[in-house]
Amino acid sequence: MQSMRVGDVSRTRSNRRFTILALAPAWLFLAALIGYPLVSVLTDAFSHAHLVNGDVGGFAGLENFEKVVSDPHFGPAVRNTLVWTVGSVVGEFVIGLGAAVLLNVRVRGQGFFRVATFIPWLVPIVVAGMTWEWILNPDFGIFNSLLTQSGLVESPINFLGDKNWAMATVVFVNIWRTFPYYTISFLAAMQAIPNELYEAASLDGAGAWRRFWSVTMPQLRSVSLIIVFIHLIWTAVNFDFIWVMTQGGPNYATITLPILIYRYSLQQYDVGAASALSTLMLIATSLVFVVYYRYRRRLSEETVG
Amino acid sequence: MSIASRRRTSTVITYVLLALLAVYTLFPFLWMVMSALKPANEIRARTPSFLIAAPTLDNFVRVLVQHDFLVYIRNSLVVSLAACALSLVISLLAGYVFSRNYRMKAVQTTNFAMLVSQMIPGVLLLVPLYITMRNLGLLDSYGALILAYTTFVIPLSTFMLSSAYDSIPTSLEEAAEIDGASRLRTLTSVVIPVMVPSIVSVGLYAFITAWNEFMFGYIFTSTDALRTITPAIMLFKGANTVDWGGLMAASVIAVLPVAIIFLFLQRYFISGLMSGAVKG
Repeated sequence: MQSMRVGDVSRTRSNRRFTILALAPAWLFLAALIGYPLVSVLTDAFSHAHLVNGDVGGFAGLENFEKVVSDPHFGPAVRNTLVWTVGSVVGEFVIGLGAAVLLNVRVRGQGFFRVATFIPWLVPIVVAGMTWEWILNPDFGIFNSLLTQSGLVESPINFLGDKNWAMATVVFVNIWRTFPYYTISFLAAMQAIPNELYEAASLDGAGAWRRFWSVTMPQLRSVSLIIVFIHLIWTAVNFDFIWVMTQGGPNYATITLPILIYRYSLQQYDVGAASALSTLMLIATSLVFVVYYRYRRRLSEETVG
Repeated sequence: MSIASRRRTSTVITYVLLALLAVYTLFPFLWMVMSALKPANEIRARTPSFLIAAPTLDNFVRVLVQHDFLVYIRNSLVVSLAACALSLVISLLAGYVFSRNYRMKAVQTTNFAMLVSQMIPGVLLLVPLYITMRNLGLLDSYGALILAYTTFVIPLSTFMLSSAYDSIPTSLEEAAEIDGASRLRTLTSVVIPVMVPSIVSVGLYAFITAWNEFMFGYIFTSTDALRTITPAIMLFKGANTVDWGGLMAASVIAVLPVAIIFLFLQRYFISGLMSGAVKG
């Protein structure tokens, strides 16, 4: 009896040691390359700091925040970030869900269509951006050529060069590249729905439309929650797409907060201002995360019971 | 309408919609490949054609020879393979205890930290990361990119692998343990060999993420000899003129490795990605 307990204690202890050792490398990476930079952003936001000139320093109070908020581009950047984020996520959700429903139907060639749908997500953002830029080019682009030939428009549209079109265009390209992720997630969730639910609904006389709304959609709630919230954050902070396609132009029509952060830091070398803006964005994304986390808790309590 | 004919109409509609979807997703690739094979005068035709009058490999030759794309491909390969290997080792260890010792406080804390870290993307940490890399003397080296890519794929890789471990019965390990093998020994010689399909899918995820990444590659390296392929593509976009034929050829070259790997391993890849995404 006694010896067994001693054995148990040493067993838990060695188990503990093994766990800590196994987690150590991950902790090391996360602490050095996410934790430490995170702390620096928060402290630099309240300091005078310059990327190149090390002599600049000292406590700045709220100066950086005042500077960032009173920047004439701040308001438009906030608005653009919202348009970019909400527009992208709504479009991705709708197309992603529609594609998943289609790909869930048993037809010949299903495998081909699934692979074809997933492909945009594999493409580097630079390639996606540049290829669409080429397709939408006002002088030699195929899309404008088709539009003018068919008589839909009189003269080619400068999709990325016209400030009225630029934001809609980058949102469109982002949707094209990102919706497959939603599709794959929805497909996986749909395949987990027991067939009996559909059979029961059919027996009750529910048509395809009704079955979709009362059987499929409720079962997709949890996966929808995860992808929508993750993509709200990922889209809001995305730098690559807009930088590759418009660099925030034309005439600041597509400037978003991440582009402003880049401009402050690597073009004006104003680390303080860049950190203050990053801090503001961190606060906003944390709020989104907290809402998500609470919803998810509630949802898993509901489903588990 | 009879049931049979109604079913037939709905099948036809499904196919039409599926075809439209495929055109939407695949057309840019088709156009990319076609443009890459067109000579300069056809690229700049006022009315672009769906046929190529005189197909040529000039664009590819120019990109590979004149623009040093072989160097960029090598750089991308080195960085992506290293990041892939490193993140696999780290998340194989972390994922294992995530699966087996989930109740431990240290594991739950790490799980939460990884979940949160997935929500703190690179651009917000860009400045301090840049300064850290500069202080470590890693700017303009493979090191900066390998470290950054590894870190940012660790959370999802760990979630994916931990759910793969979940599906392996613990009795397997207990048997090895009774035979006197250590934990690490059991892990490497008994558990990991069973995990190969999951390891392939996580490795792919890490490789593709690193291969496709743009921002860090763009900002952490400025020497031409160390540039990776995605920032190199951006170089084609000059201030006034763009070499669209070359740009499209370069894009084909950047997409090709990923597309080939994916076609061979798509089954593993998609299922692995899903188990991680839903869990995380």
